[in-house]
Amino acid sequence: MCWPYIGWLLAFVVAPMILILLYAFTKQGNSVLMLNFTLENFAKFFSDSIFPAVLWRSLKIAFMTTVVCLLLGYPAAYFIAKMDEKKQAFFILLITLPMWINMLIRTYAWKGILSFTDMSSQIKVMIGMVYNFLPFMILQIHASLSKLDKNLIVAANDLGANNVQTFLRVVLPLSIPGIISGITLVFLPAVSSFFIPKLLGGGEYVLIGNLIENYFISVGDWNYGSAISLIMAMVIIISMYFTKKADKKVGGEE
Amino acid sequence: MKKLIEFRNIVKSFDNQVILKGINLDIYENEFVTLLGPSGCGKTTLLRILGGFLDADSGEVIFDGKDIQQVPAYKREINTVFQKYALFPHLNVYDNIAFGLKIKKQSNDVIEQKVNRMLSLIGLEGYGERNINQLSGGQQQRVAIARALVNEPYVLLLDEPLSALDKALRKEMQYELKRIQQEVGITFIFVTHDQEEALTMSDKIVVMKEGNIMQIGTPTEIYNEPANEYVAKFIGESNIFDGVMKDDYLVSFDDKDYKCVDFGFRRNEPVDVMIRPEDLEIVARGRGMIPGEVKSVLFKGVHNEVMVQTVSGASKTVTMHVIGNHDFSNEQQGEKISANDFFMDLEDVEKLSDVEVIARANAQAWDEDDELLSLHTVEYDIQQKPGTYEVTFSTSKGTSITIKAYVIEPKYTEDEKQGVGVAAFDFFITPEELSESVALDTDLCIWAKAEAWDLQTSVPIEIYDVIYDFDEENIELGDYKITYAVQGHQFKVHTTKNVTEGKKVDITFDPEDIHVMSKMGY
Repeated sequence: MCWPYIGWLLAFVVAPMILILLYAFTKQGNSVLMLNFTLENFAKFFSDSIFPAVLWRSLKIAFMTTVVCLLLGYPAAYFIAKMDEKKQAFFILLITLPMWINMLIRTYAWKGILSFTDMSSQIKVMIGMVYNFLPFMILQIHASLSKLDKNLIVAANDLGANNVQTFLRVVLPLSIPGIISGITLVFLPAVSSFFIPKLLGGGEYVLIGNLIENYFISVGDWNYGSAISLIMAMVIIISMYFTKKADKKVGGEE
Repeated sequence: MKKLIEFRNIVKSFDNQVILKGINLDIYENEFVTLLGPSGCGKTTLLRILGGFLDADSGEVIFDGKDIQQVPAYKREINTVFQKYALFPHLNVYDNIAFGLKIKKQSNDVIEQKVNRMLSLIGLEGYGERNINQLSGGQQQRVAIARALVNEPYVLLLDEPLSALDKALRKEMQYELKRIQQEVGITFIFVTHDQEEALTMSDKIVVMKEGNIMQIGTPTEIYNEPANEYVAKFIGESNIFDGVMKDDYLVSFDDKDYKCVDFGFRRNEPVDVMIRPEDLEIVARGRGMIPGEVKSVLFKGVHNEVMVQTVSGASKTVTMHVIGNHDFSNEQQGEKISANDFFMDLEDVEKLSDVEVIARANAQAWDEDDELLSLHTVEYDIQQKPGTYEVTFSTSKGTSITIKAYVIEPKYTEDEKQGVGVAAFDFFITPEELSESVALDTDLCIWAKAEAWDLQTSVPIEIYDVIYDFDEENIELGDYKITYAVQGHQFKVHTTKNVTEGKKVDITFDPEDIHVMSKMGY
C-alpha cells in the first residue's frame, strides 16, 4: 500500500537531491555520457572571501529574526492560550489571516511602507522576515501551551509557587517542544529566503539565497549554484543538531 | 484538640446555581475528616475554597484564628493531592517531591534529607530518578501525597485521590493513607463519594447533599444513628418505612406497635423507621415478630441477601380466556389472518386508533411464506357505551377476519392504605400465542393492559408480581385467573442462614435495632 508514497519520494525528493549532488561535484558542460568530477566548486566558495561572508550574514539575520519572533511570539501565544476557547479560535484566525494572501504581495506592500523610511537594508529585511514568519512561531508555541494541563498550574500554586515561579518552573519548561519547532519553522525559511532581501534590501543586501538564485538563473552556472545549496544544507543540518541538543538539555533539566 | 479551620456560613454559586448553601463546619487539629456525598453536592467546591482556588460568595474561612479568604493559594499552609495527581511530567520523582522545598529556597542538603524521608514514608526508596510516566497509578498517587506532605502543611486536602485506582489498590491505599496520617499527625480533609472509603478511614464524616450538610459525626454515629432517610440510604444498606411515633420508646409501622430506644419526638409525629439488614433475623413461622414470605435469595459471599415480603402489594385479578385457534386462511390468495376478541375500558374508547385496535386484538396476517403482512384496513364502529362491537381486519388482497370487542365500565382496584391503584382487563388468547411468548410475565401485563399508579400523584408504579398457576406449554382451553400485584413491604435481610425462595417465615429484631428518624423537611 505504500508504493505510491515511495514513488513520490523517489521522484520528487531523492531524484532532485541526487541531481544537486551530481551538479555540485561536476564541471560545467557535462554530457549524458561523460561526467567530469571535481571539487572546484567548493574550493571556489571558500577561496573567495565574499561567499563565506554572505553565508555568515545569512545565518546572522536568520538568527536575529528567530530571536525577535520568539520574543514577540511567546507572549502572544501565552496570552492567547489563557483565553477561553472561542476567543482562542478567533485570535488564531486573526494570526493566520495574512497568510491567506500571497507572501510576495505582502512583501511588496512592506516595500512600499518602508520606502518612506531611511532604515538600513538589514533592518528592512529583518522587518520583512519577522512579519512573514512570526505566525509560525506563535502557532507552534500556542499548540504546546494549550495542551498544557491547567491542573499543573493549580498544583504549582498549591505547592507555594507564585505566578512568576509557576511560569519559570512549570509552564516554560513544558512549552519547550513548541519553542523548538517554532524556531525550526522560522530559522529555516529565514536563512534561505531570497525574495525578501531582494525586494526589501534593494539589491544591495545579498543573502545566500540570492546567491543561489543568481547562479541558477542569471549566470546559468548550475554546478556552482548546487554546491552553494549543498553547503547551506550542511550548515542548516548542523545548526538543527545543536538546537535539538539544547532541547534535550533544557527539557531534561529541572 | 484545637480548632484549626472554621467555615462560617459559606455560600457559593456558579451560573446562578447555588452550590453551597451556607456551610458551617469546624475542623480540629490532627483529624481525618471526610466530606462525603454524591457528585454535585458541593464537597469539592468546599475543598477548593479552603485551598484558595475558588472564592466564596459570602461567609468566612477561618484558619488558625484568622480569616484567610484574601490569602492567595500559594501562601496558604495547606497542600492538596489532586484527583488526577497533576504531577509535573518534565520532572522526575525526586524533583516532583522537591518542588515545594525548592520554591521555599531551602538548602540542597535539607531538601535531599526531606525528600528521602518522604520516599521511605511512601515506600518508594530508590525511585527518585524515575520518570513520572514510568510509575504505576498507585505509585503516582504516592508521589502526589509525598509532594504535598514534604512541605509540612497544617492541613492536607485530598480530592477523591483514590477514584482512579482499581479496587484492590484502593483498599491498599486506604490503609496507607490512614497510616501516613497517623504517622505525620496532621489534619487530612478527604473528599469522596465512596461511603466505604469514608467509613474505613475517617475520624469524622460530613455527609453533604445539594450544598447542605446533612450530618456530621463519627463513622459509627453516621452508620448507627443516621440523621435522616438520606444519610441512612447513602451509608450502608437499610430498610426504611413510614411510621408514627406513638410515644417515647414506642413506634408504630404497618399497623403494629414496636418497642424502641428512641425518644424525644412529638406524640404521633410521622417518622422514618430504619432497620439495617444485618440486624434482622429470619426465624421459623410463629417464632418471630412479623410474618412474611421469602421473595428472593442472593448469595453475596459473606452472607445471603434475602428479601422477605411482609405485606402483600395491592393487586387485581382478571380472567384469561384461552380459546381455540380461529385463524382464517384464504387458500386462494395463500394468506392467513388471525385476531382475538378483546375487552376494553369505556374511558379508552375516545382515544382509540387503528394501531391501538390492532395491538389489543393482537391482529396479524401472513403470506404463503409465513412472512408478516401489513393489515390494509381495520373497520370498527365502537361506541362510547358498554356493549359488544364487531371489528374487521383485512389485507390488501381481501383476506379478512372479524372479531368482537367488549367495551366495559372501568374496573380497578384502589388500595387506599398503600395509596396504589391497579387496573387490568380480562383477555382472550390462543395456546399458540401463549407458548410463543419469550417473556411471559411481560406479555401477560401487555395482554391484560395491566397498570398500577400512585393514587396521589398518578405516577406509574411497576407491576412487581404476576401470579398464575398454569403451564404455558401444556395449556387446555378454558378460563384462568391471573393476579397482577405491585410490590408490598419487603425487608432486606442479611443472614448467613440458608433459606429457600417462597418459604413462609417470620422476621424478628430487638428494640435497639430500630432507629427512628425525623422526616426530611420537617
